[in-house]
Amino acid sequence: MQVDHNQSPKRRKDQPLEGVRVVDFTWVRAGPWAARWLATLGAEVIKVEWPENMDMLRLNRFTVPPGVEPGPNSTGQFADTNAGKLGLTVNVRHPKGLEAIKDLISVSDVVIENFSSRIMSRWGLGYEELRKIRPDVVYVSMAGFGQTGRQHYFGTMGPAAQALSGLTHLSGLPGEPPAGWGWSYLDDTGGMYGAMCALTALRHRNHTGQGQHVDLSQMITGITLTGSAFLDKTVNGRESRREGYPPGNRTVWPGAPVMNNYRGPIAAPHNAFRTLGGGYNDWCVIACLSDEEWTRLAGLLGSSGWAKDSKFATLEGRLEHQDEMDRCIEEWTATLGKYDLADVCQAAGVRAMPVQSSEDRVENDPQLRFRGMFTEVKHPMLGDWKFQGAPFRLDGNKVAVKGPPPMIGEHTAKIMGELLGVSREDLLQGYEDGVYWPETTPRFDYVQRAIGQEVER
Amino acid sequence: MTAATPGNGPGSGPVGPLAGVRVLELTGEHAQFCGKLMADLGADVIKIEPPGGQETRNVGPFLDDQPHPERSLYFWHYNTSKRGVTLDITKPEGREVFRKLAATAGLVLESFPAGYLPGLGLGYESLSENNPGLIMCSVTPFGQDGPWRDYQTSDLLHLAAGGQMASSGYDPEDVPDAPPIAPGGGNAWHIASHYAYIAILAALYHRDFTGEGQYIDVSAHEACSLTTEGAIAIYLSTGEVVRRHTGRHASPDESPVIQHATKDGGYINTTRSGSNLTTRRVKVLAEWMDSHGLAQDLLDEKYQDPAVVEESGQHFAQVLKNFFANMPLVEAYEGGQELNFPWGAVRTMDEIVGDPHLEDREFFVPVEHPELGREFTYPGPAAIYNASPWRIYRRAPLIGEHNDEVLGGELGLSKVELAALKKSGAI
Repeated sequence: MQVDHNQSPKRRKDQPLEGVRVVDFTWVRAGPWAARWLATLGAEVIKVEWPENMDMLRLNRFTVPPGVEPGPNSTGQFADTNAGKLGLTVNVRHPKGLEAIKDLISVSDVVIENFSSRIMSRWGLGYEELRKIRPDVVYVSMAGFGQTGRQHYFGTMGPAAQALSGLTHLSGLPGEPPAGWGWSYLDDTGGMYGAMCALTALRHRNHTGQGQHVDLSQMITGITLTGSAFLDKTVNGRESRREGYPPGNRTVWPGAPVMNNYRGPIAAPHNAFRTLGGGYNDWCVIACLSDEEWTRLAGLLGSSGWAKDSKFATLEGRLEHQDEMDRCIEEWTATLGKYDLADVCQAAGVRAMPVQSSEDRVENDPQLRFRGMFTEVKHPMLGDWKFQGAPFRLDGNKVAVKGPPPMIGEHTAKIMGELLGVSREDLLQGYEDGVYWPETTPRFDYVQRAIGQEVER
Repeated sequence: MTAATPGNGPGSGPVGPLAGVRVLELTGEHAQFCGKLMADLGADVIKIEPPGGQETRNVGPFLDDQPHPERSLYFWHYNTSKRGVTLDITKPEGREVFRKLAATAGLVLESFPAGYLPGLGLGYESLSENNPGLIMCSVTPFGQDGPWRDYQTSDLLHLAAGGQMASSGYDPEDVPDAPPIAPGGGNAWHIASHYAYIAILAALYHRDFTGEGQYIDVSAHEACSLTTEGAIAIYLSTGEVVRRHTGRHASPDESPVIQHATKDGGYINTTRSGSNLTTRRVKVLAEWMDSHGLAQDLLDEKYQDPAVVEESGQHFAQVLKNFFANMPLVEAYEGGQELNFPWGAVRTMDEIVGDPHLEDREFFVPVEHPELGREFTYPGPAAIYNASPWRIYRRAPLIGEHNDEVLGGELGLSKVELAALKKSGAI
């Protein structure tokens, strides 16, 4: 194994990626989410921005809490997506800015970006260029269609990538338009894959001393996530546009031919049901994956006796009489709150869970509360703010959100001065010349203070 | 492209980035995708199944719709590049073999109910006693503790509890009284597998520098709960809960329609182009629409005022709806992309299989199934690693296919010992 970290900060083993430095050119969601996980695992992630072309999430007006002054440092969605990073503003289209970025990359382990394909190369920051200054650099690109292939220049955001990958078509009721995914699933997933690619290439580097370029495509990521739909086409020639497909929350739509929908085993009941209260998210789901599980549910359905009818005793029978069965089940579920219903079912060995809204997960989910899913961290604009933690625990390492997200350009002076040894004089000159902040954009107070300049009142 | 064949091992051809990591996989639907990712990236993943094969082999679809444990396309999809052995760890002699295997492994990936393996004397502390570099990753529905720890789940149940369903569904104008919808594909387990992979790689990184292994506790519920993009941030910021909309982001407010029907019965998704336009892009779009006689009033000078553009999202959506109703899907999608609009056709496997762009990226991987005398096309890597390939080495293992190779050849059990294990039903 070859390891050379002379250029990296001193290694301490309290977080697994302690000592890894990441230059994060990403913006919006998928890329920043990738680098956010590297930060949560302990890497020093430096987010590179330019105020004239702001990360869209900094402008997301839907997540500025009431009473907070709107601005690029005030959005909740940016905060969670960029927690624990450092903020650098530098103009890579200025020769001195490009030089500064190259200096930074020469002492960094990972470069990650999610621009449209080949933008970085146009700036002189493509992989071939960067390996000259950092031969073992791990360079992760996250373009929608990738860096190669005839449509590499096609752009995507989550919903378009989901549509093109086949994921959207898998979601909905038969005979209706696709319901799709009510959020950018492939931005969340793209983020996970960005982090996975960086970690995987770091592992390769640790064992060979060799860096590399990882060319990830957000859209292609989604294709494999359709489960066995792909093989059903290439092996069985199955058409995707067919009767009863996709079958909503069921495994087979009533009356349609019995064939797999790529979620898992064929089962019935397998559906969403209304629960007591009748509110927008007063729903639960129930799935019986075997005849035994059905028998247990039938025991709960109790007094009316309909469930004991032998026509429901087998999967075949339950599929045949699915509408009637689901209707009768809902008469029962509508009498119970969704959490009570899940508890009653689970206690009897029946698979059931509540449909949980965002509010439910933050306020009402006893499991997430027990496991400490949310951590409060002080945020300069938002105050004590809840950040989402990691969905895993390592018993030998700490994994935690290290701090709030950076205010734009918050750490420029520190990074340029302390890490890259730029003199105070040159730094101030850079600010004057539009290298570290646009000449025509007013500087925030914290930027002024960081370079020892007067704050205007 | 050369077909992936059963003879392909991590030692043949270019070396993947995870070369040298030996993984013992004892998991079905929960984390088999994590094992597949590791195997396709070069790890030596040995899938340990109970004698007779794992229950995931009974999940369809099946080759030619004939149910059989060696014909499950579901099993095939999730178990590429792995080797397979059978072992009954509920039997003492099976446990003994497992201990010997674990002494050779870098990672044990498992998804038994919390406490099950320790109950058999096969918990992390015991297995790592003589193998301090061992990493063990448990992927369970809710993690190793907490009030829901022992609750039974499924993909559907996680998408309900994790918040995916609360964000996905229909506008009431499209489908009145629609339930929340759980998107398909088995993605609760994919999400859990992705985070398990991230945690494992972090632990491998730590081990590279310290030699220390560790125990990892992954919760599928937490992984899903993290995967609804802005829903939590919107709630924390405003106290508002998102509402479901057809084919677009759930949001607390009304938002312009972005998924439109096309002339030929397809659907196109315009991301946010209907509401997030600049004046320059309105002009580009309007000129293209005008060349089809479908621009309506979009060439009007007033749309060169950003404030008017900002408040005209619903109107643009209406004009686009009419435009797409008169355009075939592919022409609309590719035409938009050529003008830099990040639109997407709603595709199915019917269009994806054979897509030339994907062919350019060698996404379609021929995989041999010699026992059937056939070769099938599998979905390949999402990323191209230029120094250490992500690739499918071979098809999923047959039941017990590598018993002799792994337990005999590599672990050194004699033929007599193997025969005894077979006789007692342990392999």
